Amino acid sequence: MSYVSDLSQSQEYLSFRSNVPLKRIVVDSDNSKGWRIYDCGPKAVQCPLICLPPVSGTADIFYKQALALSAKGIRVISAESPVYWNVREWCEGFKKLLDYLELDRVHIFGCSLGGYLAQKFAEYTANCPRVASLILCNTFTDTSIFNNHDSAAIFWILPALVLKKMIMGNFGSAKVDPEMVEAIDFMVERLESLPQTELASRLTLNCLRGYVEVHKLRDLSVTIIDVYDESALSNSVREELYKCYPSAKLAHLKSGGNFPYLSRCGEVNLHLQIHLRQFDNSPFSASDKPLICKH
Amino acid sequence: MASRKKTLLKVIILGDSSVGKTSLMNQYVNRKFSNQYKATIGADFLTKELTVDDRTVTMQIWDTAGQERFQSLGVAFYRGADCCVLVFDVTAPNTFKSLDSWRDEFLIQASPREPENFPFVLLGNKVDLEPRAISAKRAQQWCQSKNNIPYFETSAKEGLNVEQAFLAIAKNALAQQNSTVDLYNEFPDQIKLTNTQKSGGNGDSCAC
Repeated sequence: MSYVSDLSQSQEYLSFRSNVPLKRIVVDSDNSKGWRIYDCGPKAVQCPLICLPPVSGTADIFYKQALALSAKGIRVISAESPVYWNVREWCEGFKKLLDYLELDRVHIFGCSLGGYLAQKFAEYTANCPRVASLILCNTFTDTSIFNNHDSAAIFWILPALVLKKMIMGNFGSAKVDPEMVEAIDFMVERLESLPQTELASRLTLNCLRGYVEVHKLRDLSVTIIDVYDESALSNSVREELYKCYPSAKLAHLKSGGNFPYLSRCGEVNLHLQIHLRQFDNSPFSASDKPLICKH
Repeated sequence: MASRKKTLLKVIILGDSSVGKTSLMNQYVNRKFSNQYKATIGADFLTKELTVDDRTVTMQIWDTAGQERFQSLGVAFYRGADCCVLVFDVTAPNTFKSLDSWRDEFLIQASPREPENFPFVLLGNKVDLEPRAISAKRAQQWCQSKNNIPYFETSAKEGLNVEQAFLAIAKNALAQQNSTVDLYNEFPDQIKLTNTQKSGGNGDSCAC
């Protein structure tokens, strides 16, 4: 590895890694494939918050959410999928993961590709719901925005270097502050750690023709977190997402770039708590104590 | 350059409990009023798009619980605020007396760059009720002593002056934001060694 980012050297990150074990859970017949998860917070909670990373991320990118929210009694599971080559396979795999973890329903915080897959999973399980609510961060409902359907078929054969370059082309942003720089450095480091097959699989999921059948998700409570400064997604993509979820709570952030869960973790965590507290004292509570406490 | 960039204004409403903070916000955003009092727990927010001087801006209005000081929410709650709205009940003198401490509280928590120039707006709510305890003159005097804070007398119940007050709030917030942006512009533009990676147009080549 050529360099080490500031965040991965921070006390907070090191403490996360030394206290929360990385678990590998095999749910498919292929033994070499395993979901990687960090399970943080009270295990008695039956309806946790599951965090799904973007193309470039690994499960540990949500350490700031895992640490801060588990301290409030919320169970946070950050999950990174093994190699799948289409969305249906991914959904089946994720369902098996939930079965293995004995979770009937979950709240999903999905970022970018993670947000798209979260919606696809809610659609996939619409008849027998497994998703209690969605928090979507810098995400989309239709892969046609990437204009990459044709190349999606050959990602599996491209070298890792080319794939990384495709992703990193979107990392840069005109105006960045120190927090955003740290976040980008950290994400580049995660990206560097990903093997070619994983990258190719994620890019394929990201670019294969597909869209979310939003009408099947009508009854879900949705919060949309997005940034108003430059990120990989254009204004029109964001507007489209608002249109698909007219009753969603819109949690805009003034800035934060592509990775607000790292660069604006305080605000993102606040929005996650505001979203989750509507489930206080319900079967879908994500915490072992009410998030609302009167002082 | 970034002329089509969207603007987000973050507005925080503070004041004692039951002065009508939630009602004002609901009246403005949803045009609804309920006589039933339900204490706000923690903090919550609503968003509304509006046009100020031909610019479309999104206002994110944060409502708080008056009975607690929001230590638990911490700085993330106050971070990046563009305007602070102080509310009191014109029929309840105690709520007027607390204004100083709410203002201080905000300045300590949000710690804006220039506290003396940070925009506040004062709303004297419940003008539909009798008897009045705080006259308009007295409220205005307080505003003058605090660097001429704009003052509006409102009734969330009757929707009186609410629209006007929030438009003034938006204008003040926008002015504040423009002055902060200037601070950043003191830095020279970055030097680009490569061609711009952004392909332009609306084709996002991939998500990261």
